[in-house]
Amino acid sequence: MSLLQINNLNVRFGDANAVPVVDGLDLTVEAGEILAIVGESGSGKSVTMMALMGLIDAPGRITADALTFDGTDMLKLSGRQRRKVVGKDIAMVFQDPMTALNPSYTVGYQIEEVLRQHLGLKGKAARQRALELLKKVEIPAAESRLDAYPHQLSGGMSQRVAIAMAIAGEPKLLIADEPTTALDVTIQAQIMELLVNLQKERNMALILITHDLAVVAETARRVCVMYAGQAVEVGQVPELFDVPAHPYSEALLAAIPEHSIGAERLATLPGIVPGRYDRPAGCLLSPRCPYVQDNCRHQRPPLDPQANSLARCFYPLNQEVA
Amino acid sequence: MAVVLSARELTRHYEVSRGLFKGHALVRALNGVSFELEAGQTLAVVGESGCGKSTLARALTLIEEPSSGSLQIAGTEVKGASKTERKQLRRDVQMVFQSPYASLNPRQKIGDQLAEPLLINTSLSKAERREKVQKMMEQVGLRPEHYQRYPHMFSGGQRQRIALARAMMLQPKVLVADEPTSALDVSIQAQVLNLFMDLQKEFNTAYVFISHNLAVVRHVADQVLVMYLGRPAEMGPKEDIYEKPLHPYTQALLSATPAIHPDPLKPKIRIAGELPNPLNPPDGCAFHKRCPYATERCAKEVPAFRQVGTRQVACHYAEQFL
Amino acid sequence: MTSPIPNSVTPASPVDQSLLYPSPYKEFWQAFARNKGAVMGLAFMCLVVFCALFAPWVAPHDPSEQYRDFLLTPPVWLEGGSWQFILGTDELGRDLLSRLIQGARLSLLIGLSSVVMSLIPGILLGLLAGFFPQLLGPSIMRLMDVMLALPSLLLAVAIVAILGPGLINTVIAIAIVSLPSYVRLTRAAVMGELNRDYVTAARLAGAGLPRLMFVTVLPNCMAPLIVQATLSFSSAILDAAALGFLGLGVQPPTPEWGTMLASARDYIERAWWVVSLPGLTILLSVLAINLMGDGLRDALDPKLKNAA
Repeated sequence: MSLLQINNLNVRFGDANAVPVVDGLDLTVEAGEILAIVGESGSGKSVTMMALMGLIDAPGRITADALTFDGTDMLKLSGRQRRKVVGKDIAMVFQDPMTALNPSYTVGYQIEEVLRQHLGLKGKAARQRALELLKKVEIPAAESRLDAYPHQLSGGMSQRVAIAMAIAGEPKLLIADEPTTALDVTIQAQIMELLVNLQKERNMALILITHDLAVVAETARRVCVMYAGQAVEVGQVPELFDVPAHPYSEALLAAIPEHSIGAERLATLPGIVPGRYDRPAGCLLSPRCPYVQDNCRHQRPPLDPQANSLARCFYPLNQEVA
Repeated sequence: MAVVLSARELTRHYEVSRGLFKGHALVRALNGVSFELEAGQTLAVVGESGCGKSTLARALTLIEEPSSGSLQIAGTEVKGASKTERKQLRRDVQMVFQSPYASLNPRQKIGDQLAEPLLINTSLSKAERREKVQKMMEQVGLRPEHYQRYPHMFSGGQRQRIALARAMMLQPKVLVADEPTSALDVSIQAQVLNLFMDLQKEFNTAYVFISHNLAVVRHVADQVLVMYLGRPAEMGPKEDIYEKPLHPYTQALLSATPAIHPDPLKPKIRIAGELPNPLNPPDGCAFHKRCPYATERCAKEVPAFRQVGTRQVACHYAEQFL
Repeated sequence: MTSPIPNSVTPASPVDQSLLYPSPYKEFWQAFARNKGAVMGLAFMCLVVFCALFAPWVAPHDPSEQYRDFLLTPPVWLEGGSWQFILGTDELGRDLLSRLIQGARLSLLIGLSSVVMSLIPGILLGLLAGFFPQLLGPSIMRLMDVMLALPSLLLAVAIVAILGPGLINTVIAIAIVSLPSYVRLTRAAVMGELNRDYVTAARLAGAGLPRLMFVTVLPNCMAPLIVQATLSFSSAILDAAALGFLGLGVQPPTPEWGTMLASARDYIERAWWVVSLPGLTILLSVLAINLMGDGLRDALDPKLKNAA
């Protein structure tokens, strides 16, 4: 049984006729694997994970055929039951470490809070454990940092503290939402290495949400490409990057500067992601797709298995390559 | 080709008060940067936070006066310039900012914002201004109806186009772009970068392109300047720097940048630690505490920024990497 | 399946999102109208404005005409009331309804003029304090601190005592007392906006100081000022009523809600309507304005947040 099973997840803000921010998403994550969710803004990648954690408030409405984590149906949990799971078995690391930490409390206090809440540790035991966690995330001079306030730490340090808080509950699943976007390149490399090492050591599943394809190529095993709320391609890394089946995956790859070394212009896809007012009746990419056919504009393609991956396209690319 | 921007030993110091009883500390945000830039060329300034690139941007755009050093724009020396000279200098250098959401006035129609530089600096009639604005809007891919709209009605990519259009209204000789595409999605980034290149060809503007994204820099730059803690580390033609970086920091930066097709044979250079405190920089070479090749000499002697082959490097042992 | 050949048919051009946005006024009205309390407040204030504008035609009687035969007549729904004087008469036989309607004029006048008289200098001082934080800022703010240290009503009483009672001096006193809050608000908003990129961009375009102050920065500081102005309006009415109650504001026989309260103090037990009805009118007006102010703040702030 998969660790995380998502079937037909829909998230809408407003009434039942409002445009879905997440549209019929299917996703599975096995224990101990690294899955990357890739997409641009408006693709619904962050909202999916917030829905899983129960962080979506009204007027957001979540419906799904299945949303199970480790056998538990997340949709049916009460607030109290959910708080037992979220933060302990499922943990999340956010994009901006400076705002993810509470500026009024010391770093040590915030880590101890997690330990208190989820592991029942108190006093000296909690402080000792907090110190171990800080050492685990490779913070130098950990003893003195326990009493530091978040504003005294740099971006990289703050993110390490956030990771320490996330792994404090020994989670089975760690969700990292753009964990390194706000950080410098060399710090990004350190943090990504830390996440991968922690993941390997604890056999934790890691969901990495990002828009940076290069980070995915170096870290993840499987990748799910999202566009306008739908999963358009799910496949293995590096196969999906070498031989993309969905035109959007191909366009994303073509747009990154590494694929245009020496060229005058970067390859682009005209137009922008459909907004509230112009969601197509057919395939969501049809207004921009260079390979569009007539039926693409009228029918929504299902996510079907192709040669190397699952792709949501009537005319997937690169299918001769086995 | 004419040299439009010439900087020599640009330095900018800040005094930071450390409370009532301690004296003032000196932050050398910019510590001796020199370069020459020709019309129609792009100099990319690369570095991580704290390297001084924002300070450099503010000095080049005349927002702040450098503490020492000379800056010449289109032949006119900035220091001691007369009032009329200052007016011309103001027209010759413009800037595009990082955040598309903060760089446009939320309460002004974008047509008026585009016309403002003309209103202030030229004596064109209202109709003439409007005509020029419409022409520029068309060039950056906006529609005539957009004149009346407010910034919050546009997407991030469109706002950057507007910001770029506003910067180019006076056809400046130099454009400083401070991380103009860092906040944009990959496919939008490609569109905006193409626009940058098109406008450069059209107006023969020199660009100073500040970025921490080495993949983007490789696409747009002619020359690359790598900075570390306010000093230049390496500067030279783009391909030389990317093919064979001489300074250990440049090597680390390039190695830390994730690649979409990772080369398993290339060893990853992981540098430990973080940027030193600018209030208390290390003696000798600023990088020596994190450099894998540091020797005693590096800890004592500040390396000179000297010519090695086709470029300039600030490292005692640059030759060993040739 | 063979891979498709990219066709040369250009994809259908996507709809331009920005053209589907409503105009800023419509957007503001939609946001405002969502707050039912605010809309009711607006409706009540429209009624008050209507009365103020058309008082001579709306009022059934002349407010200063004394009907000697009808002293202290109760309102129409009580024993002894009549339709001739719907809300009854006061101790001098003057029709209460007409006096209330006429009083609306004065209250609105006092509110409007005191707000304008303190808003304009307040914004100017706040702009100067924000743009010159080392040169002018400290002196301006210390002056405002001194003014804030004194209880506002006492300060108003002191000013009126110096200048003498009357309508204009009441307005001046209230304006002076409300000045510090505008200066503080403007300065805080200006200092917040000065760090934003668009101000730097305006500087780069060559904008001089007047342009930076009034065209670039000030429009972006208006939201908290508008809300404060609405709230000042209601507190101006209250202050004028308090001053009138103390005998320092508008002098009788001019019908002003506060002075009506004061002169009817003695009749609370015998003829409660002479006191309660002006008091109720003050209450409803202040409540309406505050509800409107709430609605304004909700309608203006989220838009700023989205644009940020």
